[in-house]
Amino acid sequence: MNPKQLILASNIQTHLCLQRHLLVTFFKTGALLCSRDVSRGFLVYPPSLRLFAEGHAEAETRLPSGATTRHFHPSNMLSRLVLVSASSLKGSGALGAGLIQASRSLHTSSQSLAPVPPLPEKGGKVRHGIIPEELFQLLYPKTGVTGPYMLGVGLLTYILSKEIYVINHETFAAASIGAVFIYGVKKFGPSVAAFADKLNEDKVAKAQEVKDLAMTSLAQAIEDEKKEQWRAEGRSVLFDAKRNNVAMLLETNYRERLHMVTNEVKRRLDYQIALQNLHRQMEQEHMVSWVEKSVISSITPQQEKESIAKCITDLKALAKATQAKATA
Amino acid sequence: MAGRRVALKAIDWVAFAERIPPNQKSMFNALKTRSDAISAKLTSLPETPAAIDWSYYKSAVAKAGMVDEFEKKFKALQIPEPVDTQTSTINAQEAEANKSASAYIEGSKARIVQYEKELDKFKNMIPFDQMTIEDLNNTFPETKLDKVKHPYWPHKPIAEL
Repeated sequence: MNPKQLILASNIQTHLCLQRHLLVTFFKTGALLCSRDVSRGFLVYPPSLRLFAEGHAEAETRLPSGATTRHFHPSNMLSRLVLVSASSLKGSGALGAGLIQASRSLHTSSQSLAPVPPLPEKGGKVRHGIIPEELFQLLYPKTGVTGPYMLGVGLLTYILSKEIYVINHETFAAASIGAVFIYGVKKFGPSVAAFADKLNEDKVAKAQEVKDLAMTSLAQAIEDEKKEQWRAEGRSVLFDAKRNNVAMLLETNYRERLHMVTNEVKRRLDYQIALQNLHRQMEQEHMVSWVEKSVISSITPQQEKESIAKCITDLKALAKATQAKATA
Repeated sequence: MAGRRVALKAIDWVAFAERIPPNQKSMFNALKTRSDAISAKLTSLPETPAAIDWSYYKSAVAKAGMVDEFEKKFKALQIPEPVDTQTSTINAQEAEANKSASAYIEGSKARIVQYEKELDKFKNMIPFDQMTIEDLNNTFPETKLDKVKHPYWPHKPIAEL
């Protein structure tokens, strides 16, 4: 292994170390640019991804000790795969901010908080989309408002003039890609973010709906059960009604029997009386008819003639009397 | 003619009607009409029958001794009260109904406890936007993905996506 290779390897290592820093910031800023949903842990970015981003912060603190190793970390491969923007070299000062943000969940205590406290609604404040506000605050006391800008310009000039970064064809490629990327994000970022937010909102709304429905149905079920218990309490009335019915039927039956007995006795007595009356009536009639018959048969023809003559003279006298009365 | 009266319990039909569930309304109506018919029949009959005027009959009927005999027998007559065969069955029914009702009420109370428990779980749940997947799986066990049965993503049958 000759020194040249060694230097080359170490160069690549440090270059990759820088790239890893940039990866962290890229992830964070990319996340912050594209979606406001850093706070909805389980919905867009599951905790695993959060930890991945955070884990990288740990990796970068661990890495300087392993900077002399010559074989490649798997995370190196990943950072090479993901990172294409040389333009984010400007944001190399974001290193500190990444660590600051990571401090929230760096598992410094042995026990993790439960329930997990909610993530902040918005990510850390950034200026110009990449540079965290903390840098400006850091430098403000010493250098005022223009401090970080001067730092940035100075760094850029240094890098360009000392040919630490060499301008080549790929610079223009990177610049164009960066321009397109920034244009795309600025134009479509909010709508994409809104769309993603809406997806999450829909999920939460659905879950909330399920929960509300469950709660109302449970409350309703409790009410219904109580009502059924109240209903069941009234069962004794039914049996009272039945017993009443039975008693009434018995009483009715008894009275009917009484009435029947009385009526039957009365009927029999009335029958006797009617029988007696009938007897007497028949005797009377028979007697009367017999008397009549005997009387009629005892009338002789002589008696009949005399009675008819007497009737005629009586009638004449009567007629004369009435005539006299009429003329008078 | 021994007059006896079992005290009839006053039944509040209105309150009773409130308590019956809608699927038993027709039975209730049938019961009510029957009860009303029976009570109407009862009230239509006078309590004691008209008394027999024995003196009149004694004077009217010629046959001697007949009326006296009738009177004696009539007064001595004891009309048997109808035997009550149904009250015991009704009491048995009532005991059984009480038993089943108390069992039902016990079950109902247990159900209420269960519902209250679930309701409390919902009330004390952390809001959805502060949950992680683990919290979700703890609160709603049915959302837990079985990674043993389906080791590859999406950890559930495709049809359930």
